[in-house]
Amino acid sequence: MASQRKNSRGESLALRYAILGAWALFCLAPVLWFLSIGLRPRTEIITPQPIYWPSFSLDAWHMIWEDWPMAKYLRNSVAAIFGSVIIDLVLAVPAAYSLSRYTYRGRDDIGFYILSTRMMAPAIVAIPIFFLFRNVGLLDTVWALMLIYAAINLSFVTWIIRSYMLDIPKELEDAARTDGASDLRILWEIIIPAVLPGIITASVIAMIFAINEFLFTLLIASTPNAYTMSVALANFTGGSDGLIYNAIALVAFLAFVPVFLVVVAIQKHLSRGLTMGAVKG
Amino acid sequence: MARIELTGIQKKWGTVWGVRDVNIDIADEEFIVFLGPSGCGKTTTMRMIAGLEDPSEGEIRMDGEVMNDIDARDRDVAMVFQGYALYPNMSIYENIRFPLRMRGVDKSQHDALVRQAAGLVEMTEYLDRKPGALSGGQRQRAALARAIVRQPQVFLMDEPLSNLDAKLRQAMRVQIKHIQRQLKITTVYVTHDQIEAMTLADRIVIMQSGRIQQIGTPDEIYNDPANTFVAGFIGSPPMNLIEGRLRDGVFSAPGVEVTGLTLAHSGNVTLGIRPEDCTVGGAGSQLNGAVYGVEPTGDITYLTIKAGEKLLEVKADRNYRSELGVQQSVAFDPARIYLFDAGTGQRLR
Repeated sequence: MASQRKNSRGESLALRYAILGAWALFCLAPVLWFLSIGLRPRTEIITPQPIYWPSFSLDAWHMIWEDWPMAKYLRNSVAAIFGSVIIDLVLAVPAAYSLSRYTYRGRDDIGFYILSTRMMAPAIVAIPIFFLFRNVGLLDTVWALMLIYAAINLSFVTWIIRSYMLDIPKELEDAARTDGASDLRILWEIIIPAVLPGIITASVIAMIFAINEFLFTLLIASTPNAYTMSVALANFTGGSDGLIYNAIALVAFLAFVPVFLVVVAIQKHLSRGLTMGAVKG
Repeated sequence: MARIELTGIQKKWGTVWGVRDVNIDIADEEFIVFLGPSGCGKTTTMRMIAGLEDPSEGEIRMDGEVMNDIDARDRDVAMVFQGYALYPNMSIYENIRFPLRMRGVDKSQHDALVRQAAGLVEMTEYLDRKPGALSGGQRQRAALARAIVRQPQVFLMDEPLSNLDAKLRQAMRVQIKHIQRQLKITTVYVTHDQIEAMTLADRIVIMQSGRIQQIGTPDEIYNDPANTFVAGFIGSPPMNLIEGRLRDGVFSAPGVEVTGLTLAHSGNVTLGIRPEDCTVGGAGSQLNGAVYGVEPTGDITYLTIKAGEKLLEVKADRNYRSELGVQQSVAFDPARIYLFDAGTGQRLR
């Protein structure tokens, strides 16, 4: 009886791993596929016959770094993304604190207004934004990208952090106040450490959105001066060389890796964060 | 270390009254307990003393100085909360040290003060832990240490024991009282638990619906209740309150007749008698009714008797047993009978 139970437990464990393995393969297959395309010679990719034992080539790798200013694109991406997340946090943390802790007239309306900016189709404001940046002379700069990414993400970053702050018991702040802490000290020493998982979650999601942002980047960036990975990818598809599939695949892979590494590194916070905001502990 | 005076304190949120016309003079080093059911305004009153809530009207003074416009962090009070309110990201050591840092106490003294406070509540060995790694009782002791550490003028305790189990509560009660006597710090303690109030307080303030019902020592509150609310709130089980008529010194209600009352009053009254001031089957019984329930607890037996529509609690001998429905007579101790006005609930003397 006991051995039978143990056996069936082993079977269900194997089944579990089989399902998880299949799911992992399903998710990772395109990524691995891209990597394999990126590391093959261009001629081999466009042959109509399937090739079972692909040859290995760093042609695309050399090409993207030598013929294209890939390092600059990468730098632009990183600067624009991190810059935008920093802007978001500097603005969203105090805003979320205010929305979650103080009572004043119109607070809920302001909160809803902030969220509602997320509800409109971005294309609606594309042209006004283009003119806005042109008038202030920021067109084709990383600064403009930083600002536009920050603007796109600010609403939900604020909203996520706010929901975490709502879960902090009011008593904690009352205690800090009677202990002699000022509002800023309370925010800095009590509230921010307590909502750190929320801040991390919001930052990672903001990063992912920013990396994938295409419309506004294309609008603002007109030279490699401000090109990011996402727009650079699009540029590979045109030009006199035709479609350079292996380079596209490799750049796409490179765009994927940093996000992947960030998510793996903060996995613990992320999963805890995603559930903690929803369910009161 | 401080005298607290509350004069004409009112608190109103829109049209809702939180606290109405509260006047109390709390003496230096006194242990005062605000007692009442939830929503009676006791916590609001305490929060106004702390500066976490502004009174709509009235004046709060500490040692004669008006505190109304002084921010919570500039009042020299320390508060212990029902949910402990320990800072979860800090170790117990850092939690206890927090008020010292915030109040700009000289850094060289921090370690000694933290260890002294932790020693008082026997928490020295847990200083490195985070609050999450402690039991409820340990957390509450840590919260107590955080309040003690800077030797404030006033301690405010908001139901600090209500999240603990009964046994721990009793132990902590003794500890809190001991520490308060040792440090001689004026303490305001809020609770809905009458046992805590009776055991801890120098004086009890009983509140209901935002108003003070009675202020007095535990003995006064127990033996000399000002109205039916106080009479019914204090005591376990609480005082029996029987509605009836008083005429020519005779009180009558279904199943109850009490003679020889000296009060020159006639009309509808409420008679109060505590369960322990009743004798089962005593001579000259004033009450006759059917046995409704018998609850032996070991050291005492609670007997419930139904007289008319009214259920009355009596503390009987621990060996008392009876079948349900049996007629039983009960005698009241004439010296311990209280009479209240049926309309206002105020004591008739």
